[in-house]
Amino acid sequence: MIVYSFATEQKICEIGSVKVGGQPGELPTLLIGTVFYGRRYKELNEELLEKASKDIEAQRTISEETGNPSMLDVFIDSEEHVEERLSYVLDHTSSMEPFSIDVPEAEVRIEALDYLDGQGALDRVLYNSMNLGITEEEKEAIRSHPPKAAIVLGYNPRDLSTDGRMGILGHGSGMVEGGLIEMALECGIENLLLDTAATPFDHKAAETLRSIPAMKNRWGYPVGCSIHNTVESWLWLKKRRKENRELYNICDIGSNGLTIVLGADYMVYGPVSNAPFAFPFVGMVDKLVSEGAEEYFGVEPPEIHPRSRME
Amino acid sequence: MKGRNSMNEYLWGGEFNTGNYESPVAVVTMAERIDLPEGKVAVWGKMMTENLGVEKVVANIISNPNIRFLIIFGSDIRGHRSGSTLLSLHENGLGEDNRILGAPGAMPYIENIDREAVERFQQQVEIVNLLGEEKEEGLLKAIDDCIEKDPGSFGDPYIAIKIETKGAQMEDLQGKIALCRDLLLDPLGKITTLNTQGEE
Repeated sequence: MIVYSFATEQKICEIGSVKVGGQPGELPTLLIGTVFYGRRYKELNEELLEKASKDIEAQRTISEETGNPSMLDVFIDSEEHVEERLSYVLDHTSSMEPFSIDVPEAEVRIEALDYLDGQGALDRVLYNSMNLGITEEEKEAIRSHPPKAAIVLGYNPRDLSTDGRMGILGHGSGMVEGGLIEMALECGIENLLLDTAATPFDHKAAETLRSIPAMKNRWGYPVGCSIHNTVESWLWLKKRRKENRELYNICDIGSNGLTIVLGADYMVYGPVSNAPFAFPFVGMVDKLVSEGAEEYFGVEPPEIHPRSRME
Repeated sequence: MKGRNSMNEYLWGGEFNTGNYESPVAVVTMAERIDLPEGKVAVWGKMMTENLGVEKVVANIISNPNIRFLIIFGSDIRGHRSGSTLLSLHENGLGEDNRILGAPGAMPYIENIDREAVERFQQQVEIVNLLGEEKEEGLLKAIDDCIEKDPGSFGDPYIAIKIETKGAQMEDLQGKIALCRDLLLDPLGKITTLNTQGEE
């Protein structure tokens, strides 16, 4: 069992009631579960909303039980879903509960920021994500409506190695002037979470993991990823998903453990409905990391931590 | 499962079905999984991303010279715009930095196949743009139309070699290992920075 200790100062980011970052073992892993992802949410009906409500509450409950902080990741795929989905989440979370907005298109991200500013909710928002595809209009929108924190994506389509992923963040690799971290800071975002950008098997998937300690040590910001995306794109498993859901879930949720032992501070673990399994599993790994960190490096766990909550 | 993901003919893999190898038609169905007549279509399947996904489609298509038409069908992928990116690649090719010229996707770069493979793709197939179409009847008609005007095989298969980029390799440095170019990990898990001269 390897537990790392980083030579550089490790920043702790606070978003609402959630703290994330620090040296391994210093804080429990933040778990971010996605709501409204997939075609079935194209039109929200009463049944889907009731299910979402139950899933959100289940994440909250298991988060309390294991001591792992939680956050919702609100997937928004088009302009017409911005208000519908965000108003639902605002209605179903307290003013201290942060949430992430997970939006593939720049135009929709801009609209989401505008809406959240109007609702006075930007201080709870984790922007997911600032990446290579950012537009000038988007940067302007971020400056005008700055979210509390942002995920900065280390995806470098030209070089998937650890050095390539760090390059897009640090100097831009010739594609982003000054690099994405500098760009995020220039846009007025102080709380950055770095994402190592999960890639599929055969596309340097292992670099997704190796980048975790490398990025943490280089910049000290909290680091994580959505490693479940690597699992989700695995064709062998995909072919067995329907017949053997348990097998799929074991691989999907289990993948998160790999990131934690390499130093990850947070993870976007997939559908929020997986919370009852993801949290106890991650809590178990956090217990191991915390024991190792205390033994080797004298890092004591905080009062609320899986080590005390899951004795 | 019959015919799905046959690795005998399309070496670059991906989430696709294979049908009649002699057919002149291939179909990209974007995010949808659609059943198509095996006798009429050589290969059909999903394409999600504007870089790795597009590369796989190009490499697989040119490995079968019988394919002369590529139908791009369905709703484009939000954010990635991989369907529009594939259209741009066919129409405009690559810029000097390997960016697909005119592509609307967020990160449209081709890095794992060479320019010759892209040019072969541009020459071998004609694109039938059904992006945004949702009715399968229209797709089936387009398939029939393509078969009707099949110009015959393009010649030899083109097997695109994946360009391997060398990343930071782990090296043993006096009991420590390098995580990347300038970070060292000692046996206890302590991470330190290595300067460019190779000294801690």
